Amino acid sequence: MGPLVKPLPSPDARTAPFWAAAARHVLALQRCDACGRFAHPPVIVCPSCHSGLASFSFVPVSGFGVLRTWTIMRDAFLPAFRADVPWVIGEAELDGAPGVRLLARMADPPDAPLRYGAPVETQFEDLAPGVAIPVLALREG
Amino acid sequence: MPRRRPNRDVAIVGYALSPIERRASRPLGVIAVETALAAIRDAGLAVGDIDGFTTGAVLPAAGGQAAIDGASIVTAQWMAEHLGIRSRWASGFQGYGQLPGSVVLAVNAIASGSADYVLVHRALANPPGRYHENPMTEATGHAQWTAPHGLWGPPAQIALPYNEYLQRYGATREEMAAVVVELRRNAAAIPWAYWTGKPITVDDYLSARMIADPICILDCDIPVDGVAAFVLTSGERARDLPHRPVYVGGFGFGSPTATRTATVWTLDEIMEGGRFAAEQLWASSGLTREDVDVPQLYDGFSPLVYFWLEVLGYCGIGEAHDFVQGGTIRTEGGIPIASGGGALGNGRLHGVPQMLECYLQLSRRAGARQLDRADVALACHSSPHYGGAVLYTSEPN
Repeated sequence: MGPLVKPLPSPDARTAPFWAAAARHVLALQRCDACGRFAHPPVIVCPSCHSGLASFSFVPVSGFGVLRTWTIMRDAFLPAFRADVPWVIGEAELDGAPGVRLLARMADPPDAPLRYGAPVETQFEDLAPGVAIPVLALREG
Repeated sequence: MPRRRPNRDVAIVGYALSPIERRASRPLGVIAVETALAAIRDAGLAVGDIDGFTTGAVLPAAGGQAAIDGASIVTAQWMAEHLGIRSRWASGFQGYGQLPGSVVLAVNAIASGSADYVLVHRALANPPGRYHENPMTEATGHAQWTAPHGLWGPPAQIALPYNEYLQRYGATREEMAAVVVELRRNAAAIPWAYWTGKPITVDDYLSARMIADPICILDCDIPVDGVAAFVLTSGERARDLPHRPVYVGGFGFGSPTATRTATVWTLDEIMEGGRFAAEQLWASSGLTREDVDVPQLYDGFSPLVYFWLEVLGYCGIGEAHDFVQGGTIRTEGGIPIASGGGALGNGRLHGVPQMLECYLQLSRRAGARQLDRADVALACHSSPHYGGAVLYTSEPN
């Protein structure tokens, strides 16, 4: 058996624009053209106005936001992550995208000053050629 | 036009529970058929009397194990086939809160005349291998938002809203010991519970292995092989059967409105959806929280107990961590939310311990654990915002 491989995101018709932007290190979120509602993960039908897939755009946002919760992973159910234990996964509310929460690995270690409401920014980690995932990081202040 | 109340003339008339084992030596389907036959006998009926079947057949493991009917899951159709019954009606509940959902399907089938005697079962397997370990190399569908970050499995998914709760309300992990220790203390006295004879101390809880902070191993129910079956029929038919009927009095289900990464909801969404579920409970039954003698809150992950306490109104939002201290939920003299030992004491049976305790108490079959007041009971399953709960009564409408 070869070395353990971390799973790469596999884009589909609904999510491809998000991952194409992420590969360029841009956080772009799905927004309904008809009613302006953001959705993340991307939806097929807008729950607010029932518009379908053709009427969404992916809008770049700053990636700044506030930390709402996190967990410190002490066990890895995905075997390729065993060497990473312990690591932090955070969830942030994002500026300019009401209702959205970004769930992502954090660049900060478990002993970082994580707190409810801490300012965070979005960085990107390149996993493979043309594949990057967003990562949350504490900001100064 | 005022809303019609659900039919309250359907009752549980018998039950059976298999041994609860970490890994049974026999296939799940064999245990399921045995348990069904025992429940039918318990109800004073013959196999041929059963003409309706329902269950929620989800295998909750995130390890990518195959859902094989009769081996790792048991569907309603499989059960009917293997009892050799050409059933008038067999249908599964799709969604979470599988056991309350199945009970509601059974009530509707009986009330509408689709079936006269319905077998509701729940069969849970602990499949081979590590329960949530998943060897995926490509993250498709919902997994594309979690697996590339190493986020996998329900413990981490419940850790996120639980930590938000702790941070927002200044609660501590230490406070949860009051819930877990009480559930395990009650289960220790129940012969069939997985953790029978094995109570834990506060120190045991606080020194347990962490899985995904603030969730430790003792905040999670242990995966088991086990099956429960209940027989339901109309109140009229129930009165001719050997056991005291326990009537279905009402129900409520959560209904998340936000689109989120699968099973990762926010604390606010859990509470908002849960309050909706609680409103449905009271509206459908005409009962109130003060009427409930035997509230069996769901505890597959311990934070769900806080969430249920708050949405049901036992305390205010953000107060459960404080409310459970000092013996409030001690079975003797307190609110007996833990009297049945819960999932944390019985094992991962997805709402079975809650429903079973409601049935045993209201049918006066709880033995040494029989509570003095047991006329209205509440069986919850899953998280309040997308699971459900059923109210049971000892008297018909």
